[in-house]
Amino acid sequence: MPRITPQTPGQPRIIQVPPLDVSPPRSMRRAGRGTALLLAAFLLALVYLIYVLVTRSAFYMAKSGQTGYGRVTDRNGDVLFDGTKPMSEYEAGHFADVGNLIGDTSGQMSNTVVSRNIELLANYSFLYGKNSGTVTLQTTISHKATRACYQALGAKNGTVTAYNWKTGEMLVCMSKPCVDPALGYDNIDSMPSGSLLCKAFSPTVPGSTQKVSTLIAAYEQNGVEAVNALQFTCEGSWVNASGGKINCHNAYGHGTQTLYEAFANSCNPYFAQLVQSRLMPLSAVIGTYTKMGYSVNGQKAEPLVMDGLTIPAASTVLTDSNTFETQWGCLGQGKTVVSPYQLMLWQGAIANGSGSAVQPYILAAHTDIENRVTQLGRTTRTGQFFSEAAAQGVRDVETDNAEKHYYVSLGEYRCGVKSGTAQIRQEGREYENSLLTGFCLDDDCPVAFCVLIEERTGNDISNAQLAKVLLDALRSENITKTAPPAASAAGG
Amino acid sequence: MSRTNTNPVSHPFLLLLVLLAHTAMLLLVLLSFGLTVEVLKLACVVLISDFVGAIVLQFVAQESCTVDTVLLLVLGMSTIYQSCFGGLEFALKHFVFGIAAFLMCQISYVLVRNPYRAEKLKPLWYGSFFALVIAIFFLTGSRGIWIDLGFITIQPSEFVKPVFVLICASSIRTQLRKSEIGGWHFVPDNLMLLFCTAVIAGLQWYSRDLGSLPTFAAAAGCALLLRFMYLREKISVRLTVVLIIGAVFVVLTAWHLAPAYVQDRLHTDIWSDMSGSGYQQVKALTAIAEGGWFGKGAGNGTLVNVAASRTDIVFSTICEEWGLFTAIMTVVLVLFLPAALLTVPPRSYYHSGLALGVAAMFMVQMTLNIFGSCNLIPFTGVTIPFISQGGSSMLASGIMAGFLKAAQAPVLTGRSAAQLRKGGKA
Repeated sequence: MPRITPQTPGQPRIIQVPPLDVSPPRSMRRAGRGTALLLAAFLLALVYLIYVLVTRSAFYMAKSGQTGYGRVTDRNGDVLFDGTKPMSEYEAGHFADVGNLIGDTSGQMSNTVVSRNIELLANYSFLYGKNSGTVTLQTTISHKATRACYQALGAKNGTVTAYNWKTGEMLVCMSKPCVDPALGYDNIDSMPSGSLLCKAFSPTVPGSTQKVSTLIAAYEQNGVEAVNALQFTCEGSWVNASGGKINCHNAYGHGTQTLYEAFANSCNPYFAQLVQSRLMPLSAVIGTYTKMGYSVNGQKAEPLVMDGLTIPAASTVLTDSNTFETQWGCLGQGKTVVSPYQLMLWQGAIANGSGSAVQPYILAAHTDIENRVTQLGRTTRTGQFFSEAAAQGVRDVETDNAEKHYYVSLGEYRCGVKSGTAQIRQEGREYENSLLTGFCLDDDCPVAFCVLIEERTGNDISNAQLAKVLLDALRSENITKTAPPAASAAGG
Repeated sequence: MSRTNTNPVSHPFLLLLVLLAHTAMLLLVLLSFGLTVEVLKLACVVLISDFVGAIVLQFVAQESCTVDTVLLLVLGMSTIYQSCFGGLEFALKHFVFGIAAFLMCQISYVLVRNPYRAEKLKPLWYGSFFALVIAIFFLTGSRGIWIDLGFITIQPSEFVKPVFVLICASSIRTQLRKSEIGGWHFVPDNLMLLFCTAVIAGLQWYSRDLGSLPTFAAAAGCALLLRFMYLREKISVRLTVVLIIGAVFVVLTAWHLAPAYVQDRLHTDIWSDMSGSGYQQVKALTAIAEGGWFGKGAGNGTLVNVAASRTDIVFSTICEEWGLFTAIMTVVLVLFLPAALLTVPPRSYYHSGLALGVAAMFMVQMTLNIFGSCNLIPFTGVTIPFISQGGSSMLASGIMAGFLKAAQAPVLTGRSAAQLRKGGKA
């Protein structure tokens, strides 16, 4: 603060301006501190801004279409999408089995690998600018196995999804009918319904594959040994406490069965009686389902996410154990819907016997325009869906089922499976879908899978045969070895 | 004039730095456009302005010359930027307003360098404030923010900013003058500040121009903090907690009560509406990405075709042509103006409030502009001081720069000293 010396008569008044290095009083220093605080906050925010701009700039360029796009390849470098040249230059049908999974930059499909990871495909870097090289996004998908499954379906539609339950690598995610991006979208109105949608991610009626979830709920509530010892009688149909009639696919009935037998027979009356019994309080079933990821009675359940791809959660309606609707839901019909992806995920948790699955991933590696490779995929685990005891109990039941009833079709593999027939009512039509969900325990083929064939008849390929095609193709791919990053993808 | 030269760097040396910086930028312009008449015109105008500015400063100089130097540097840079966006065309209007801002800076410096006189003129500031508020209320268009005089449009709300900063500043003598009603002691000046803040908030709500509200709120908040703590040796924890809770409550209430058009901006996903409400920000972000670290070169940008490229999203326009590195350096340079306070602290309590108010205004304004255009906060449409195009904003910023200059090292004249003797602390 300025000081004034006492004035002496006859002498000029001296004004002493304090030198600049004199500290001002605390009250004024606070202004400086306030400014310093504001400056520090602003500079910190500026650093964050720089970080966001530099790391997100590829996304800005890709979303606004201001740069070229690179390639997406499968685990062996086979091109699944090519933004560097017209895809029509590839052999006819090259993309016809992966179009609705991988997608393209046309904007016609949103839940695809390309759409959800567009920033990784931009031929751009903040330092070098746009189109100064070509990026490659390597996936874990086996195009060979995908194509084998696609062709095995013949004229039928359906979906096959499979992943390595030890590492999390997504191996096959095929959905038929499928758009061929190389042909463009001029005929979009005449495309078969569902061509632009990967049905592996769409919830559908699971049929008797739902009995896996119901069995898990029983195990969680009563223990494995107690449930395995349960016996119920099937006479072809069964009338529940509220008068609802549950039919069995075997009109003559299965007689008195143990759990293992009922599971293999996929006996509806057995499981309906199990649901109605005092061993299965509804709250316990709801609790187990909720933990597994179901949306029960409209409760919110988080969707599943795999590298940006979104998979809606399973859902069901369970109101009263004595009613037909609830029992029918526990048998995988009616209002119960589950995506093949989620069925596969639970099989992964059963296969490893822990009750929590290895999280699937589809992006393996990214090679930027400077040929720097970044590994994207890594093995992580999901939350706990159910207990270890329940997982191991179901694994035993499923492997027993495979050994006794799928020996012919899957005999050379050590598998566990559960089949299902889903009754669909859609747009005034009624038809049945055939499902098979399971896992392979062989060291050279650790795969959890779900296959679904729409409107299958007796003359069509069976779901077990399709599963064998899948496993054969994957085993020949040597999937236990991690795929090398595709530094430069093969063209044509 | 009594002067103690404690400045470690002399005026001529700083002028040399300004000239070097501008010359470097002009060389880049030369590289982009080649040797043309327009380039020469721009170079001559900028460099001669630097010289003339330096000469003018000799008449209004003081111990520290940080604010003056930075102002000269920023104004020259701004002229070069605005002249090169999308192609070379000398931004005459921007340049003229730049000169006007420089002059306003000197005028406001002279006006408020004496804290006693500035404090005495407070009724004038209040009068100006309410005159501007009435002008906005009655003269602007239908809920608009501009007064159209035909040959020029004026944004009176910009001029409210420096006046509001003057209202925010207060002397210790004023703070000691307390009134009592019903056993409750209060400082009338503090109540007036709160009232003016409420008036501004109401007016902005009415004008549907809530974008500038955070700048006023920040200045008022800083002023109130400074006032409440002016004599305390330690900052009261209880008071701090109460103030924080109050601020959070106000923000949450405002967030909840914000009108529909504000709510829209708070929740807009620009990437799902790239040709609609997200258009400007998408273009701005893409331009930044295209510019990269070092830009596409002066005049090579395309963002200039987007509305508000020279004002609300000017940061992105600079990024596109000059690169993110240069744009950040420019922002940091503007920060040097309020940061000058840290090197040479104010010598009066009144100037402390003045400087902190300007610092809050400048920084919040830049935050809203830069982070809003980059989609990190809701996009509002305020300007970056001295960089954005706009006469009202430029003049208002110039006035506030004058406050900083006055706060930095006021020269006490004999008359001021006499006032000091009579009036005690300021």
